[in-house]
Amino acid sequence: MDGYLDGELDPITSQKIEQHLRDCRKCKEAYETHAALAHAINRGASYYKASTELRQRVQSSLRNAMGGTTAGGTVRENHMLGTRPSAQRRLVVREIPWTWLGLAAAIMLAAIIGSNLLPRLRQPTTDQFLATQLIASHVRSLMANHLTDVASSDQHTVKPWLDTKLDFAAPVVDLSGEGFPLIGGRLDYLDNHPVAALVYQRRKHFINLFVWPATTDANKAQKAITRQGYNLLHWADADFNYWAVSDVNASDLQTFKQLVEGQVPHR
Amino acid sequence: MVLPLKTKHASETQDSESRRKIVKFTVVEKTQADHVGRTDLALFEEAMLPHLDAAHNLARWLLRNEQDAEDVVQEAYLRAFRSFDGFRGSNGRAWLLTIVRNTSYTLLRRNRAVDITTTFDEEVHAAGHESVSPAMILEHAEDADLMRNAIDRLPAEFREILTLRHQEDLSYKEIGDILKIPTGTVMSRLARARARLKEYLTT
Repeated sequence: MDGYLDGELDPITSQKIEQHLRDCRKCKEAYETHAALAHAINRGASYYKASTELRQRVQSSLRNAMGGTTAGGTVRENHMLGTRPSAQRRLVVREIPWTWLGLAAAIMLAAIIGSNLLPRLRQPTTDQFLATQLIASHVRSLMANHLTDVASSDQHTVKPWLDTKLDFAAPVVDLSGEGFPLIGGRLDYLDNHPVAALVYQRRKHFINLFVWPATTDANKAQKAITRQGYNLLHWADADFNYWAVSDVNASDLQTFKQLVEGQVPHR
Repeated sequence: MVLPLKTKHASETQDSESRRKIVKFTVVEKTQADHVGRTDLALFEEAMLPHLDAAHNLARWLLRNEQDAEDVVQEAYLRAFRSFDGFRGSNGRAWLLTIVRNTSYTLLRRNRAVDITTTFDEEVHAAGHESVSPAMILEHAEDADLMRNAIDRLPAEFREILTLRHQEDLSYKEIGDILKIPTGTVMSRLARARARLKEYLTT
């Protein structure tokens, strides 16, 4: 209930709760009380702004902290206030104890390591964000009765249709012989690109295969993510990025990927 | 701390001419260091002073006392300034609030460690309060004193999460980062905080 109230739930759960609130009077009443409470906290709880005196006090204490550094001499005070040794290191090498140089070196080393690690640490976040978009798109396609823009099991119908709408020619393969019949195609917009969404069926489940051109520096490594009960599988070839999203199990999705890879014409 | 003494000793044994040189050298350097420092301070203030109200508000709700809140804000800004070099993120407010929170807890723990978490049996206690109507809640909420008294009765972990969500409008993710808890825990803690507040408001 709180997650729903705060708009923090995934679209599917949100939809389920919305549906339930329409049907269940008791829950609806509980929800309204809860919403009233949230509103009451927003309105009733005082926001304690900082006084002008506090602002001045903070600013002058910061200046004093700086003063400890610049008025010089008191190395001990510098240390307590933790102001940067690196600014002075180059200039007053002869006066600075070796422990300080060690500390400065450690900070620089940490900065170097940090700057090297940072892009790597960011990577998962980008993927997580994309994964959220992919799942949302997959869910929307099943929810809003907008699975396909062009419904056809014939790859020679789907492909030309997509080609006229996109600035790239997405590969469309037919896997009906292997138990993954093509249902159709759809346009979508992901990760700041227009993308082709190809819809395949596996028994009673749907697989959305999102395809868009690969950038040269893109990470070509295969990635498998499981979130909210959905399996996501990413791979790329020389020309395209692929993301398959579905609630089929991971090994079916892996089979699907191998079939697509096997049939996509390679340059 | 042995080496600096050595340095001092070494400089003392030098003749007066070279000592004078050292003194001169140092004066020039300080002017430059001063310049570097002021620029850093300006950058820090530009990034962090806009969040002074948020910092004060969180400290005030956590400590329930203006004097302590102001002390904590001042201390938190000093701490933040010291580690500002290490701050590379984009969310300055969340970063500062993390420091304000940690500083507040240091004081809370020192003063009275009792109320930080809840040991109350909420499941049992919250039962039987389902018949509260929205109108009743809204009626009470108009009264800022009543609301403050009710929130002040909550344990610190509830006060902070309500402040971060309702007054700072932070997402579960941001709150989780500040409190160092998973987003699922953010959701359940918020639910417990609200349930308890509702009870305090209407009884």
